[in-house]
Amino acid sequence: MRQNPTEKGAASTQLTGQALREHWVTDSPFDPQSIAAISADQEKYYFASQWQLIWWRFKRHRLALICGIFLFLMYASILISEFMAPYALPTRHTDFIYSPPQPVHLIHEGEFVGPFVYGWDYQLNMTKLLREYSEDRSQVYPLEFFCKGDPYQLLGIWDGDSHLFCAPEGATLFILGTDRLGRDMLSRITYGARVSLTIGLIGIIVSFTLGIIIGGLAGYYGGWLDSVVQRITEVIQSFPQLPLWMALSAILPVTWSPLWVFFGITLILAMLDWTGLARAVRSKLLALREEDYCLAAQLMGARPRRIIGRHLLPGLFSHLIASATLSIPAMILGETALSFLGLGLRPPITSWGVLLNEAQNINVVAIYPWLMFPVVPVIIIILAFNFFGDGLRDAADPY
Amino acid sequence: MARYILNRLLLMIPTLIIISFIIFVIIQLPPGDYLESYISELESQGESIDPLQIKMLRQQYGLDEPFLMQYLTWSTGMLHGDFGYSFEYGLPVSDVVGDRLFLTTIISIFTIIFTWLVAFPIGMYSATHKYSWSDYSLTFLGFLGLATPNFLLALVMLYFANVTFGTSIGGLMDAEYINQPWSWNKVKSVLEHLWIPVVVIGTSGTAGMIRRLRANLLDELHKPYVVTARAKGVPPFRLLVKYPLRVALNFFIADIGNMLPSIISGAEIVAVVMSLPTTGPILIAALQSQDMYLAGSFLMFLALLTVIGVLISDLALALLDPRIRLYGEAR
Amino acid sequence: MNKAIRLAVCCITWLLSLNSTGYALELKETPIYADQVSAATLPPIAERLPQTPYVDHLELLDQRQLGKPGGTINLLMAKAKDVRQMVVYGYARLVGFNEELELEADILQNVDVKEGRIFTLTLRPGHRWSDGHPFTSEDFRYYWEDVINNEQLYQFGPPKQLMVDGQLAKFDVIDRFTVRYSWDQPNPDFLLALAGPGPLYIYRPAHYMKQFHPGFTDPETLKTRIIEAKTKRKTWTALHQRKDHQYKFDNPELPTLQPWIPVTPLPSERFRFVRNPYYHRIDTQGYQLPYLDEVIIDLASSRLVPAKTGSGDSDLQGRYLSMGNYTFLHEGAQRNSVNVLLWRTTRGSQLTLYPNLNANDPVWRKLFHNVDFRRAMSLAINRHEINQAIYFGLALEGADNLLPESPLYKPQYRNRWADYKPEEANRMLDAIGLTQRDHRGIRLLPDGRPMEIIIQSAGESTEETDILELIHDSWLNAGIKIHTKPTAREVFRNRVFSGDALMSVWTGLPNAIPSASMSPAHLAPTSQQQLQWSQWGKYHETGQGDPPDNPAVQQLLELNDQWRWSTDNSQRESIWHQMLDLYSDNVFTIGTVARVLQPIVIRRNLRNLPSDGLWNWEPNAYFGVYRMDRFWLDEMATSAAISPVEER
Repeated sequence: MRQNPTEKGAASTQLTGQALREHWVTDSPFDPQSIAAISADQEKYYFASQWQLIWWRFKRHRLALICGIFLFLMYASILISEFMAPYALPTRHTDFIYSPPQPVHLIHEGEFVGPFVYGWDYQLNMTKLLREYSEDRSQVYPLEFFCKGDPYQLLGIWDGDSHLFCAPEGATLFILGTDRLGRDMLSRITYGARVSLTIGLIGIIVSFTLGIIIGGLAGYYGGWLDSVVQRITEVIQSFPQLPLWMALSAILPVTWSPLWVFFGITLILAMLDWTGLARAVRSKLLALREEDYCLAAQLMGARPRRIIGRHLLPGLFSHLIASATLSIPAMILGETALSFLGLGLRPPITSWGVLLNEAQNINVVAIYPWLMFPVVPVIIIILAFNFFGDGLRDAADPY
Repeated sequence: MARYILNRLLLMIPTLIIISFIIFVIIQLPPGDYLESYISELESQGESIDPLQIKMLRQQYGLDEPFLMQYLTWSTGMLHGDFGYSFEYGLPVSDVVGDRLFLTTIISIFTIIFTWLVAFPIGMYSATHKYSWSDYSLTFLGFLGLATPNFLLALVMLYFANVTFGTSIGGLMDAEYINQPWSWNKVKSVLEHLWIPVVVIGTSGTAGMIRRLRANLLDELHKPYVVTARAKGVPPFRLLVKYPLRVALNFFIADIGNMLPSIISGAEIVAVVMSLPTTGPILIAALQSQDMYLAGSFLMFLALLTVIGVLISDLALALLDPRIRLYGEAR
Repeated sequence: MNKAIRLAVCCITWLLSLNSTGYALELKETPIYADQVSAATLPPIAERLPQTPYVDHLELLDQRQLGKPGGTINLLMAKAKDVRQMVVYGYARLVGFNEELELEADILQNVDVKEGRIFTLTLRPGHRWSDGHPFTSEDFRYYWEDVINNEQLYQFGPPKQLMVDGQLAKFDVIDRFTVRYSWDQPNPDFLLALAGPGPLYIYRPAHYMKQFHPGFTDPETLKTRIIEAKTKRKTWTALHQRKDHQYKFDNPELPTLQPWIPVTPLPSERFRFVRNPYYHRIDTQGYQLPYLDEVIIDLASSRLVPAKTGSGDSDLQGRYLSMGNYTFLHEGAQRNSVNVLLWRTTRGSQLTLYPNLNANDPVWRKLFHNVDFRRAMSLAINRHEINQAIYFGLALEGADNLLPESPLYKPQYRNRWADYKPEEANRMLDAIGLTQRDHRGIRLLPDGRPMEIIIQSAGESTEETDILELIHDSWLNAGIKIHTKPTAREVFRNRVFSGDALMSVWTGLPNAIPSASMSPAHLAPTSQQQLQWSQWGKYHETGQGDPPDNPAVQQLLELNDQWRWSTDNSQRESIWHQMLDLYSDNVFTIGTVARVLQPIVIRRNLRNLPSDGLWNWEPNAYFGVYRMDRFWLDEMATSAAISPVEER
């Protein structure tokens, strides 16, 4: 499936059609070693480190590259959620409850103004018990960028009050509408990303560590340890996830603060996730141990520690990272499912799972559909992780 | 071979005993017991219950016995077909679950067929057209199902099926057919309702299936025998179906172990949202209200199916592919 | 109360005299039974009714009209256990509340109360169980002698409503249709318990239950019945209890006196209830009630009930709907030809904060015992904002106290310490000595900790989360920060009971529309379930733990006892007022808004449901007091939609 350097060499020495008709000999000096010697390109290829090879291959997978960059930007942005969100998390607008998304316009009465919003009013429809919103076209409020808004403390250190964009004085800016207490959905989603994205990352780190250590030990030592680990993973895997979730989240101490509960839930997700990794590590270790290069290293007198650290683990790592990337989405979805069952995070914490769980009722579907918007970032992130992980996995096998 | 099967069967016994104990511990882990959650449920609706009556029920249900005693009664009971007693329904567990197994199986089988119907063509196509835009867009479609949270998709589809087709919301048939004998109209009504859960549950499974099929096919497609066959002029489609696909199918068989229990348990969360008359909602309700024997026996049943499923898939693999040795020792 | 009963009894006897003196009430056969009666498989109506049936003058009530028998309606419930709601909605009781919330004899022909302690109950001769067997004093005797006084069946003693100060009633059978219960002390709870939504059943269908009692059945037969019943314990007591589900209503074989009888055994997704051919009530046309032939309950998960109701799957729905669903239900109303009514709920407060007077933390406990602290916290809540933001301004703001619907209501009970006065609250908190604040502006406790309260919640609804978020903000202005800790209900309750919870959040007074004859026990520490003083309540119930040490609380307890001993209505009324005054002035619980509206969805041609009713468990038993047996389907109907909010 992959082009290899010898094919490239063959192509360069192919005879042209003209050369077949006329007998013609080139003047240039003939080097009989030219095929055996390696060109600069080939040299680069053969002597490149494994990571470089992975990177080269990965770059060719353009969609995966785009997804990777996108994910990097997303994770970078959760460091500065306060700056990205137009409003602070606790900010409520009790006069704008259940406001639908407010359109942002560019052109006012045939004239280009730049991004702006009209005035935003509502009328209470007491027959339907519904707030009906409308634009007040007489008022034009151009959006402000890098402007002063709700004050915040960035990373617990820097105080600030500037935002990427916000509504001008006297106007509101609800690009994705507001919820039942008049909280801006865009801001809630932005803040929710912080919890939801890190839950996947922390969870995967935990399950990764567990998986490598346990799977590594089982694969390396084999024997009874291997069979015990095998049985344990079998039991955990043969167990429906749901009761495990329920039982484990029920034993989280009730005195824990929300932050600890958050951490505990990540742990729960990780505790159920490591088995797959452990099995992969184990079987891969068993297989790699039998490879010729391993035998060669053994014959050269390398000690087991060197063989594992130098020869086995690198061969494993690329694979593991790829499969870890693919299980982050499962963690993110797991968090939403736990929230749905009332076992995961609960308000007042804001995560995508919490937001989706709040959207999980018929009123929202029928009347306030914009509250379902958090499903869009969830889908995008999961797709991105999947394509990124696919690319990584293809790249992880460079030879 | 016979020796191997016997060995595996004998190994199942200690595994099942351990699993049964773990299950019993796990369902008892949440604080309180069935009666406590019963009282607090009544309280939340304004009702109250005489503490004396609770005392009486606790004794009647044997909840005042020590933990090990309860476990022993339950686990030995299962040996002669007594799966315990559901407090919630006031009936033996088998009576509660029995009726629902059939509908659950129907949904699951349809879901598996749906998943295969979608995943096979897409997987084959995207394996043969690797990194083309059509590969990307088909994989994208597959992933979309995986990425959408099921519970939300379920509700949205219920609502729109109701608004556009007039399908009644929730359940697996129109209400008037419940408890009625099977008839053509009843089947029609079931089919009208069936597609929503099948699509919702199915979409989440297709992505994984597509990816695995594609990966397995890709591995096969670069093997020399494929190149040889192609060089000899075997038509591409026939080539694909005749050899690589067959080999790539191994993993489906390896999957039986996971499939058996999922046929019975169904997708619990979707079933709860759609209030399907399947076993999933019963299991979740039983876990939440700590109806421990109902939950425990059901989980035990699932675990048994998994263990059997793993055995079957190992045996089937060995029969289909002689290269796989039953004793997985190193060379 | 006694007066009310006597009045009702007078009414009935007056009617009967009319009846016998020429006011001819010609009985009409129920159409659905016509075939069975002519085939003689069912006796005709005159033989099925008691000699003196209850004649329901429903047409005299507002918005009610005489109906036609027949028809089926569908209801939605969430769990199989919910079939018991048919006992609540059906509301056939020995004595029951009428719409003015006065007690009157219903199944009984007459109740005679002497000195508040001797209760003589007279049955209707000729009244039959739903299987046709006569309903007599034997059914009461069986319950008394063979059920609650059987040491195997009731090994922990008879139900507490039959005890006064630890003393069991004396029970006498006077004749075939009369029984008497008497105590040495007045028992004001007795009739209330009989009339409750989940009533105290002091009778059993003896002819049926005797099959499962060793005193009446030979051991061999009993043994096979035990095996057939598949109970958990293979004992006759388990069998007897399993069959004896008068309230749970899940044994189709069990004869009943309710208007509809269950016919579907568990487990099922759809439960049918068919009319009881021996029901004791008739209308003035001579039709036997109930009007509706059948009621069907379909199960759907509680989250789906609003969706299903909105798509027209329910003909009569209140349960599992909330005000937030109104807009959605209203959208579908025209399409599904249903009406969406808005009834009033009658809790003292939709959401109440309970400072735990028995908290383990000594510093906080001392603060909670300080009445000024509780008052300040109540003053710091912006109830108007809650009402506007969540209830469209349609709810009633105020403390957790009585509603104007109650005859005992006085505005000051509701309004005292319940206005939004942040400056006043801050001033009071300063005066207590809580003047230190940290850098966030949060006050410090005397021992230097910041005043951060973890509010224990059962996480019942998003509505609760939202209100707490609003309270969070307004309390922050007073320098107090709250964190909400949602847990499972069982955990929630256990943490409150143990004193680990500082403050909890739950619904308010269960019955905020009482009359003087209803018990004021909710205002005094009488039950462990009272979250503001659950340990004192437990002390009252079981004698374990410590008695209340707060003078106002002790006074409430004393007043509650006085009420119990009193038999005079005006005296009871004055006791009620003293208690209400104490309760509201001491702010033991912190209320928010009350009388939140409850959407009721009904099929447009379903008649005899008032457009504005009260929706509560106690005392109205949801639809119970409005008598579901009066509801009927008008086949000719073409009435327009109504808009309940605009009428308000």
